[in-house]
Amino acid sequence: MIFNDFIEKITSSEFCFNVTEDICRHFQCLSGDMNPLHTDTEFAIQKGFPDRIMYGNILNAYISYFVGMTMPCPDVMIQAQDIKFRRPFFMNDNIVLMSNIEKFSKAVECIVFKLEFYRIIPDGRQLVANGHVQIGLLHDKI
Amino acid sequence: MEKEEIIVQVQNIFRDVLENSSIILTPNTTSADIVEWDSLSHIQLIVEIESHFDVEFTSEEIVAWKNVGDMVNFIFSKKR
Repeated sequence: MIFNDFIEKITSSEFCFNVTEDICRHFQCLSGDMNPLHTDTEFAIQKGFPDRIMYGNILNAYISYFVGMTMPCPDVMIQAQDIKFRRPFFMNDNIVLMSNIEKFSKAVECIVFKLEFYRIIPDGRQLVANGHVQIGLLHDKI
Repeated sequence: MEKEEIIVQVQNIFRDVLENSSIILTPNTTSADIVEWDSLSHIQLIVEIESHFDVEFTSEEIVAWKNVGDMVNFIFSKKR
């Protein structure tokens, strides 16, 4: 796909994810991280949280989904990303990923998205993390 | 904006993107002189330089640059 066509098809977007027990278990299998902050409610309460908190890096998996599955074509690759965790989120939270193009370069065919993750709370949304992902457009070599 | 000022600002971008505060750019500097300046960081440098100076390059223009001096001259010509 031509870069100009690609970027014209990208719009601001929102995706919602439910952080389920199953997702948590899969992340534990992948990472091997069984820290009690994520597995032991009493431990988490002792540290001042209302419940065990979810792995912040689950959000990185949602960035992977965003890039790999929602772009106008599959010819994309993550070049860089950063994320800052602002507040904890918890089991069964609904997490909304909001994305906007922050900048792009036609010369090197890459786009930097600004990302914000919110958890849905009774009276609105609460920012839990924000960051960026930079993607590049791939072309056939053979 | 003078070329000397441009190269200082480009140097700051290089230091920030490449996370190396000891980088010193001269007009003759090339990617061979900076170990962190690889093909991937080159993309990030271009994005940041375009954004910082509010200029837009083409791939043909970038390929034609032989060193930092060529880049600075190009930015200078766009900002005049």
